[in-house]
Amino acid sequence: MRARLLHEFLPGADGTETILEIEDIHLSFAGVKAIDGVSLRVHNGELFAIIGPNGAGKTSIFNCISGVYHPQEGAIRFLGRDLLGMKPHRIADLGLARTFQNIELFPQLTVLDNLMLGRHQHVHYGTFSAAIRLGRASREEARNREVVEGIIEFLGIHQHRRSYVAMLPYGIQKRIELGRALAMEPKLLLLDEPAAGMNLEETEDMARYITDIKRELGIGVILVDHEMRMVMDLADTVLVIDFGKPIAVGRPDEIQSNPDVIRAYLGEEHAIAEGGDQ
Amino acid sequence: MTTTANRATGFVSPAARARDRAVDTPDRVALREKNRGIWREISWAEYWDRVDTFAHALIANGIEPGDRVAIHSDNRPEWVYTDLGSVAARAICVGLYPTNPTSEVEYLLKDSGSRVLIAEDEEQSDKVLAIAAADLPDLERIVYLEHRGVDAYDDPRLMSWDAFMESGAVHRETHPHAVAERMAAAEPSDLAYLVYTSGTTGPPKGSMLTLENLEFAAEEIAGLEGIVAGGTTPDDLIVSYLPLCHIYEKLFSVVIGTAGGVPVHFGESLDTLVADMRDVQPTIVQGVPRIWERIHAAIQVRLASASRLKRLNTVIWLSAARYVGRTLVRREGRHTLVTRVLHGLGNAFLYRSLRERVGLRRVRHAVSAAAPIAPEILEFFMSIGVPIYEAYGMTENSGVATTNRPGRVKLGTVGEAYPGCEIRLDPETGEILTRHPAVFAGYWNQPEATARTIDGEGWLHTGDVGEWVDGTHMRIVDRIKDIIITSGGKNVSPSEIENTLKTSPFIKEAIVIGDRRKYLTALIGIELDVVSEWAQRRRIPHTTYRDLSEKPEVRALIQKAVDTTNGKFARVEQIKTFLLLTKELDHEDGELTATQKVKRSIVEERFAEEIESMYR
Repeated sequence: MRARLLHEFLPGADGTETILEIEDIHLSFAGVKAIDGVSLRVHNGELFAIIGPNGAGKTSIFNCISGVYHPQEGAIRFLGRDLLGMKPHRIADLGLARTFQNIELFPQLTVLDNLMLGRHQHVHYGTFSAAIRLGRASREEARNREVVEGIIEFLGIHQHRRSYVAMLPYGIQKRIELGRALAMEPKLLLLDEPAAGMNLEETEDMARYITDIKRELGIGVILVDHEMRMVMDLADTVLVIDFGKPIAVGRPDEIQSNPDVIRAYLGEEHAIAEGGDQ
Repeated sequence: MTTTANRATGFVSPAARARDRAVDTPDRVALREKNRGIWREISWAEYWDRVDTFAHALIANGIEPGDRVAIHSDNRPEWVYTDLGSVAARAICVGLYPTNPTSEVEYLLKDSGSRVLIAEDEEQSDKVLAIAAADLPDLERIVYLEHRGVDAYDDPRLMSWDAFMESGAVHRETHPHAVAERMAAAEPSDLAYLVYTSGTTGPPKGSMLTLENLEFAAEEIAGLEGIVAGGTTPDDLIVSYLPLCHIYEKLFSVVIGTAGGVPVHFGESLDTLVADMRDVQPTIVQGVPRIWERIHAAIQVRLASASRLKRLNTVIWLSAARYVGRTLVRREGRHTLVTRVLHGLGNAFLYRSLRERVGLRRVRHAVSAAAPIAPEILEFFMSIGVPIYEAYGMTENSGVATTNRPGRVKLGTVGEAYPGCEIRLDPETGEILTRHPAVFAGYWNQPEATARTIDGEGWLHTGDVGEWVDGTHMRIVDRIKDIIITSGGKNVSPSEIENTLKTSPFIKEAIVIGDRRKYLTALIGIELDVVSEWAQRRRIPHTTYRDLSEKPEVRALIQKAVDTTNGKFARVEQIKTFLLLTKELDHEDGELTATQKVKRSIVEERFAEEIESMYR
């Protein structure tokens, strides 16, 4: 039996409509500007990368989108709805899933349980039917398991299904985090440094998963990463920020030849990258 | 479901047997496949339907009798559909190792002149698509099983498995008897497979195996006087996991599967083998020394990290096991009253749960073949109640030559000849010669190599040196070309020493050097998982394979294993010094064959300087 493609068990998106719109947001902590006038648009099927030196404000943008931080100015619209002031779990319910720089899984639970937990907002039965495992509960449980098994197959983590997350190597944990985000049936996926701390082979695997997600689901993906080669290979659009300010936005080839970017960011980063790691 | 199953004349083949089972027992389980966490059953009716459809698809795509059909995939039901479907259409099935890199894929497709290739997924498709189409003039169709990634390619030769099978279904509508007609015309001399030998020396050669070869193998192995008394049955269970392009796995997944009606199980992946085995608890297990060594090592490691009480229990029952094992070995596998009682108790306290955990609880016949295994490993398994029988065969005789049998085991030998097999030793060289109906038809397009291998009287020259033990059992000394003659003129069989070294759970690879030299030395590769765990317990910080191999503590650990081995051999056969390899040997780097056999000459060449340093 062949492996299913993602859109065969997860809802995908069609077309290239705008899914996320950020307009001129500003965020500061005690007078320190973290984000200083960032605007962007992400479409269905688009891989949008945000790059910039450490502390440039990349993760802060993620935190604004997912409702952890509340920008003082500007607007964030997801599927036409205003996200400002909305609680993170409400935003997640709308179909926005994210992975974290530092893995945020339940280390004392198995891989299967962690992925099943990613399905929690797709659980529509009450305590009673859950307790007697009848009707809706067992049907939904089966459907959730079906999705989770598809994700296990997609990520090739069969052998870890029953392992405790804490016991698994870092690279595998990163994969499971991606799996948990997928289990939420996202309409937009935010990936915060999915390749951080990985070796070459693991980075290539991760790049392949991201490409497959984009191709098979057609959803929008926002990626933040330092792994410059991966970003330039995968992204449709790149936004460069420095000190919270946008420097440039465009296709990877435009970004690579943009003198401002080279001066402000790529130049020094490349020099460092040539010399050592990152 | 439309099934065109009906018995027809024509020489019997695995395909014909599958068809007959679809008629006789359509609803019995033929295959099981674990998919998305669930074992899914495939009945004989469904199995035959897939095989028949595939055969129709081949005919629809213009495949004539004698044409070659290649498959490049891990084990899965589609592999055996391809195998039997090709045979049904009187085409010749050619299996590629999943690990074959592009260069070897090119060689194998070119040499065999395959017209159709079944490529499992993006990875395998990329390999064949990397070869210029003009360099593969015979290849007309590439059928891919997994859609991910490949769907987007636009090479005109590409077609999905579903579409290919659909073309077969359409062909069946219009030509319902086409496959049956092909099968009815089948001759004993029809080539069923080209099985490429792994080629430790030159490039791989395609061994031509005929229907008659397979039929003889089926009778000898799965028949009444086969490996299990009374023959294999539909109540047996087999897990398919060794590469299906190799004759060994074919004998089990295809030949025994169809001849004995034994359900064949395909697990989720090679990485989940232990879990899959635990689910299935097969009754017949085909293994290679590497697999048995790994299970043995895993048990040892687990015991070392168990709680004190558990360890005590284990120590007691494993020493009882050793006693039982030795007695069994002395008595060729027959119990005494004492060993029976001890074994019964041990079963309750330890062995049963141990076997359960590694998926060997219900084994009634396990085989070790394809390479020599250390007797200590066999003794261990025998002592915990896993009856492993060492057997011997090679691609060129369809894997059929000798086997140990229940109650007549002689450890260190590969057993007795199968009833229909003639075996003798060349009086001059001691080379093993076999003659029987499973001796192959020769090497594909290589008449000279064939003439060197099969002599005028039909004897197959195996290239192995053997000796008789008690006049009944064969002991393999070594490959003729591997035998070391030291500068002192002593003949030494390196594989025996290497296998003894490899009984240490810490040693994965051992290559004994010493041809035309004063003394023996060895290149040793550590077993990464086991040594790494050992080092962790001792709080020895380490990073990579190389780093670990270079630790003085690790060297001391391996030295101990070498000393133990040396204690078992005569002075000229002792390892004077050794080197720890700083990289794992790899198929892709050309150091191992696809079946994980060490290419001695390549390794010796690659480590020439290090080897020289051991003789300075």
